[in-house]
This record gives sequence, structure tokens and C-alpha cells, in this order.
Amino acid sequence: MTTNSKTDVLPEREVGPASLFERARAGILQPLFREDRLFLVLAVFIGVFSGLAVVCFRFAIGWCRIYLLGSGAVLNPWRLVLAPTLTGLVVATLVMLVFPTTRGSGVNQTKAALYIYNGYIPLRTAVGKFITAALAIGSGHSLGPEDPSLQIGASLASGLGRYMQLSRDRMRLIAPVGAAAGLAAAFNAPISAVLFVIEEVIGRWTAGILGSVVLSAVSSVVVMRWFLGTESLFRIPVVQLQRPSELIAYSILGVAGGVASVAFAGGIAALRPRCKALPRWTQYFQPAIAGLLIGIIAVLGAPQVMGAGYEYIDQAMHGQFTWQMLGILAGVKIVATMLSFVSGTPGGMFAPTLFIGAMLGAAVGGAERVLLPQLAGSSGTYALVGMGVLFAGFLRAPMTSVFMVLEVSGNYSIILPVIVANTIAYVISRSLRPIPIFDLLTRQDGLELPSMEEQREEGVLHVEDAMRPVNVPVLGPKETVEQALREAETSSADGVLVRLHPAGWSSITRQELQAMVDEELGGASLSSLLGNRGIPYLHPDHSLENALRYVERWPVVPVVSRADFRQLEGVVTERDVLERYREVGEG
Amino acid sequence: MDHPLDDRPFADRSPAERSLGSPRPNRTHETPRLALLLLVAVVLFVAVAGISRAYQALQASLGNRWFMRGLADLSAQQFDSSVKEFRAALLYSRDNYTYQANLARALIGDKRTAEAYAYLINLWERQPEDGLVNLELARIAAQKSDSQQALRYYHNAIYASWPGDEERAQRHAVRVELIEYLLRINAKAQAESELIALDANLGDDPSEQAQAGDLFTRTQDYERALAAYRACLKTDRHNLQALAGAGMASFELGRYPVAQRYLQAAAAANAGDTKSADLLKTTEMVLQMDPFQRGISIADRSRIVVRNFAIAGDRLKSCTPISTLKTGPAQPPATFGSLQNSWAKLKPRITEWRLQRDSDLVESAMELVFNIERQTSVTCASPQGPDLALLMIAKLHEGA
Repeated sequence: MTTNSKTDVLPEREVGPASLFERARAGILQPLFREDRLFLVLAVFIGVFSGLAVVCFRFAIGWCRIYLLGSGAVLNPWRLVLAPTLTGLVVATLVMLVFPTTRGSGVNQTKAALYIYNGYIPLRTAVGKFITAALAIGSGHSLGPEDPSLQIGASLASGLGRYMQLSRDRMRLIAPVGAAAGLAAAFNAPISAVLFVIEEVIGRWTAGILGSVVLSAVSSVVVMRWFLGTESLFRIPVVQLQRPSELIAYSILGVAGGVASVAFAGGIAALRPRCKALPRWTQYFQPAIAGLLIGIIAVLGAPQVMGAGYEYIDQAMHGQFTWQMLGILAGVKIVATMLSFVSGTPGGMFAPTLFIGAMLGAAVGGAERVLLPQLAGSSGTYALVGMGVLFAGFLRAPMTSVFMVLEVSGNYSIILPVIVANTIAYVISRSLRPIPIFDLLTRQDGLELPSMEEQREEGVLHVEDAMRPVNVPVLGPKETVEQALREAETSSADGVLVRLHPAGWSSITRQELQAMVDEELGGASLSSLLGNRGIPYLHPDHSLENALRYVERWPVVPVVSRADFRQLEGVVTERDVLERYREVGEG
Repeated sequence: MDHPLDDRPFADRSPAERSLGSPRPNRTHETPRLALLLLVAVVLFVAVAGISRAYQALQASLGNRWFMRGLADLSAQQFDSSVKEFRAALLYSRDNYTYQANLARALIGDKRTAEAYAYLINLWERQPEDGLVNLELARIAAQKSDSQQALRYYHNAIYASWPGDEERAQRHAVRVELIEYLLRINAKAQAESELIALDANLGDDPSEQAQAGDLFTRTQDYERALAAYRACLKTDRHNLQALAGAGMASFELGRYPVAQRYLQAAAAANAGDTKSADLLKTTEMVLQMDPFQRGISIADRSRIVVRNFAIAGDRLKSCTPISTLKTGPAQPPATFGSLQNSWAKLKPRITEWRLQRDSDLVESAMELVFNIERQTSVTCASPQGPDLALLMIAKLHEGA
């Protein structure tokens, strides 16, 4: 994450030529500031439309479930097998013939819209995703509604942006705004949605978009709660960390979660290319075969794996399964989700990830209560922490994973176990599978999107990495042009730096000095001639990217101390900056 | 698609790509477009509200349908089916308190106590004042022998809110259940204090009064038991439970004439009440065999003493000390010899003629009789018939 505000670099009172430049730019950019306000207003509309779409999407999934699987808690075995199989056929046909852009979860498609397609996502994607994902999830495919909601939101946002004829820059940013709205409404958790979009889609904090993302997320959640109420996706039990020694038990959960994440991601990574490599006609049948296998799993005793499974997460949190059963459900859900996802059935991985995490967490908690009764807490707490653990380990969104658990549980006291377990799972997952699942999927799809994890960990070069000691004469404001010319001639530099009064810097080349002497200005003080020709200066901790903006316009840019702007710490030139980048590029 | 490095000619791009790539057109259309968006948003909001109502109506209808089936199965004690049906109902109304409470009841019926407990605790957190939830939690705690928690939840249930007009009756029932529980775990002092509270809140319902009498009888508070039975009989003179109970309480209090009256009524009203009939026989024997009762003639008293003395002698002769495994065949205690000697020594003097003339002899004779009955009741088999009556008479005149 970086901050690149111009005022950090160039204090307004000191600008000379730069101020002219900035004023000119300000004139050009004047409409952009109007567009900023429009963008904020549009973010609210995006949130409202996304919220409405997600509410309808939830209803559609509910209706599909009732009419395809039945309304009871115990379902007819024939329906369990036939509903996902036949719906798989229908969904595959729709995806192959009508909505080809709706395969998979939707997170990568949204990233692609941001980085490749200038924010363009056809509205047909939203319609297709809505229909196919509702059918798939409602019929029992082991997928969730969050990622499709994210894509539906992004697609609606893109449509609204086109309708409002936003500029290309704004269009690029509009898909994440819609994505945050869709995800927030699906999750009923605006903070987590904003964080996820920043962490996984945009990849960095930028003031320009943060306000819009927050506005859209909040307005979509308001709309969603208007229709569906304020209840969270599952009832949260009383959770608390009773003894610090319990952290040891949660660490074990972190290890188990890390290993499970690797197995889950590894299964998808291995199976998905194989399924994609099969002849095209098989893609009509892959979702049906996945549905058939999931139906068989359900008939054999694990109907809980069908659909998003939030009701079972709720039951796991309230201790309604034995720990052995919880372990089985976690394992079977991994298989079922892999089958659904690699077959290209539209649907998300968030809900299955939470399901697996909750089951695994409660299973580990239950086992620990038997083996280490003095360390283990309540199963509800373990289930909650487990959800975060899988989120960190499988989706590799460590910050979102922590805030999601806090936001969903509304309980700050759980933060220590969450941080400990999530960090362990994240580190294990990274060590064993260096490429995060979303990056892997984009690479399998032949796209090269920026890896957010790599971006997060990318070292940022600073001015201090490229600056060199002062090798140009530095003169005071009262010195004359002739004195300056003499100094310049005695040094190998092309010009001199001038310290202005009361603060600020300027520079002048040897040729300019010579011209002034020729015009009989040799006796004039430098401050009288250069007082309104300030040049920008940098601090050693500024990013090198910032420096690039100035070194191409000014041959030498002073690097000054933050404590005393008159104290010169070094200078930096375009050549220094490029040289440093070249060194880094060569490794 | 418009890639940042896309070098295709502008004309080659799709309309959407062209609009993306082109500079922003005239901005004067923004306001009407935003107004139109607002209008569309309002229309969609109304439409989604309609869809939402339809969806929620379907959910409510399905939830209610499964709930009614669950209730039917619960009342038929088909707990497994009712659990599934209540679970199905909860799919459509996850936080419905009534559905959850009934699921918990079904789970308890199905002996899935741990699951039921999880539901009940959740319900309790939502409504700690709910009587039914507290009662079920108390029962689970009682099953787990966690008397502290059981008492806590029972007390919560007693002072909790109960639905409809049944509040007083429910509280009464819970307190009765609590007293039963306390008696089961031998917490007699706590049971007595709960009984006093129960008695203070008794209404006019004769069955409740009779039930209170029974509970007082179980705590051996016969005075209060008798009062409760009498209160019951004021309203319902023919209440069999109260008649028998009042008879027994009076008997235990040594008020044999009163006991006789109640027991006669109880035995007459219910020929199958053998317990009252047996007690009546003993009562009548006590009344017939008590030489110290008022208004009795000296001749009758002497006759009674002679007969009692003979009965006591027979008891002493026939008494076989109870053996225990540890001690092997039991030997008569040393006091038996002394009692036998005293009885044998006194026997020649126990004649109606002498007794009529020597009231001290009556005292001495009956004192020996009482001693024999007391001693044999401890050492020998339980006294029956006349021996039991004599023991009762001995107790009646203890300390006199």
C-alpha cells in the first residue's frame, strides 16, 4: 500500500515552475473533480442496485431449493441425486451456449475487468450468473452465493458506469465498487467486503476509490437488511477466550486449517486443468456428473454438503454434531466443492470455505476437548475461528479473514485466537503452495493478472536507495551570479543548487549563469533572480516512484531532511533512479 | 476488449469498447440520467418488496406446515419424526422461538439431551425469563445430577413468565416438580421450605390442596398435611385422596378418633383402598386397646390391660431377632432376658380383679407392655396387628 499525495512531495508555498505545472494540470483535471462527486453518488446507486439484485438472488436460491430438492429437512433420496444431476445439465447448457462468461466464482472475472477490460463487464454476465448460480446452488451443488453476488454487483456497476458515460479511469475502478457492494450484501458484512475487495481485487489502498467502495458496500447492506433483516448468516454462540493457554489449542487448529487449505487448493489445482483439457462436448456433462456424485454423497449420509450449508454451520456452532461427524463433514465438503468447482459450475467458494472451516474448527475443538480438556474452549468458538482459518489459508486473504470473524461474531475478545490460528494457517499454506488459489485459477485460464499477495509483499524502493551524496555546489540566496558561476566552473557539475530564503530550493545551470553574466546581471543576488523559481524536493523515505515524476523535469532534485528542510541529505537525478531500477530488475 | 496496450484502430472496436475508450461526452446529461436512475431504483425497490413478500409468505407457510406436523408427532410421542419436522420448520424461520422451544422438547423426548441443551441455552440467552425453557433446562440439569443448576433453573421457571392464563398453574406445577426433585435427592429441609411457599400460594383447587397434603406427608409434616387435606375436603367432601391422606395424617399425629372417621369414609368410598383399610384396622385396634383413654370404665380398662399383657407376652415369646449377614444367626439381646423375667414375675398379678383395685399395677403392667413392644419393634420383625396398635399406644403416651 502506498500513499502518493503530491502535497507530501511539494509544499504549495514553495513551488516555482512546479506550481505552474500543477496549476495547468489542475485546469485540465477540473472536470475530474466533478466526476469524483458523480462517482460517489453513483457508488450509492451501485450499492442499491447490487443490494436489490443480491436479495433477489437469495430468494431465487431459496425457491430453487424448495422446488428442486423439497421443503423438508430430510430429503427424498431420488431428489438428492436427480436434482443436482439434471440441473447440472441445464446449467452446463446455459453456460456453454448462452452465458459463457459465468463459469467459476467471479472474483477473477472482476479482477480481469479492472486490469484488462477497463472495467467492462457485460450485463449479460450478471443475468447469466444470477440464473445459473441460483440453479446450481439451489439444486445442491456445493457452492456458495457470495462470489456470484460479487460478480453480479461488479457487472451492474459496470453497466451503470457505461450508462453514466464515465471516463476510462473511472470505469476501470467501477467494477471493484460493485464487487464490494455485491459481496457486502451477500455476506451481510460491509467491513469484510470492503477489505476483501481492497485486499484481493484492487490490491492497494487508494483514497480515490476507498470512499466509493465503502459507500456502495454500506448502501447495499442497508438494502439487504431492509428486506432480509439484520440477522447474521448464522447464530453466534457465546464466544470467549477463557485462558491464555487456550491459544495452544487454537494453534493446533491453525495447523490443521493450513493443511486442509493446501489439500483443498491442491485438489482444485490438479483437477481443474484436467477437466478443462477434456473434449469440449464433455463440458456439457461435467456439472451433471459432479451433481450426481454430490447427490450420492448426500444419499450416503452427508446431505449437509449440498448447497451453501449455512444452516449446518449454525448447527456446528451450537454443538449439534459430534466431533467425528464434523471431521467427516469437513472432508466430504472439500471433495464435493472440488467436484462442483472444477466442473465449471457457476458458484462461489466463500460459503464452502466457511463451511469447511467451521466443521474443521469444531471437530478440532471437540477432539481437543477429549484429549486436552484443560486447554479447549467451546465448540462454537472453534467453529468461528475455523472459518477464519480456512479463509486465511485457502483464499489467502489474511486481513479479511480476521475482520470477517470479528464482524460476523461481533465479539472482539475472540481476536487473539483468530490472529494466532489464521497466521499459522496462512504461513503453512504459503509455504506449501506458494501460488494463491485465485492467482492459480487466472493462470490456468491463460490470463496474467497481478498477484495481490505478491504486490503486498513487493519491496518498495525509496529515494534513499537511489540518492547520492551532494556533488553539486550548494549556494546561499545572497550569493551573486558571478560567484555562482565561479563555483560551477570549479566543479564538474552542470549547475548549482540554491538554498532560498526563508526556505525552499532552486537550481540553475552553468549555461544559464553564463547567460546572466553576459546580460550584465553578474552582480545580482541569486535570490532576486530565482525567488520565484523553486524546485521540488524529496525526502529520503519517499518512494522512488514519486521521485520519477520530478527527476525527468529537473536535472537535480534535492533530498532534504524532514526535520530541517534546509539540511541537504543528498541529491537524486533521473539517471540515479533508472540505475537503481535497473539494478533491482537484474536481481 | 480495450486493453491498455490495445493498438487496434478505434473503428475496429465494439461499441462498448468505443464508449470506454472515448473521452467523456457532454456532461449536461448527468442530472437527467441520475434522476432516471433514481426512478428505476424506486421502481425496482417496490418490485423487490413484492417479491420479498411472496417469498416470505411461502417461507412462513412452509414453516408453519412443518411445525404443525411436528406438534402432531410430538403429542403422539414420535420424537424422531417431530425432531425432523421442527428442523424443517426452522429452515424457514431460523430464529422462531416457538419452533426452537418445541424442537428442544422433541430432542429431550428423543433422549438427545446434549442437542436439546444447546438449543435451550440459546433460547435462554434470548429470553432468560421464559418459564418453559428454564423448566427444560432444570430437568436436564437434574438428569445430569447438577443440583445447583437444577435449583437455579427451577427457581427461574417458578418466577418466570408463562404464556396465557396458565401462569399460576404452571408455577404451581413447577414448584411441585421442584419439591419432588428435592425429595428425590433427600434435600428435605429445602423441600419443606418450598412446600411452605407452595402452601401459601395454594388456590381453591381441591386437587392442588390434596397434592400439597401428599407432599407434606412425604416430608412428615403431618400437621400441615392434615390442614391441606381438610382445606381440600371443605371444597370436595368426597375427595378420596384427601380422605385417605387426612386419615393417615391424623393417624401419624396420634389423633386416632379423627383418623378413624376419615379412614372409615375413605375405605367406604373406595373399597380398593387397602392401605386405608389396613390403617383403619390399626386405628380401631388402638382405640379399643388403649387403657388410658378417657371415659373408659375401670372394669373395661382392667380387661384391656389383661389382654394387652398377654399380647405382649406372646410377642416376646415369638420374637426371633433379625439376623444379619455380618453377625450370622442373631442372638436375643440381654434386655430380652430381663423383659422375660419382668413379664414372668408380673404375670401372676395381672388379673382383672387386682387391676381394678391397684391403679399402680395398671401403670406397671402397661409400662412393661410398652417396653416389650418398643424393644421387639427394633430387634424383631415389624409389628403387625395388635402389636402395632400397642406400639402406637406406647408412642401416644410417651412422656405422659
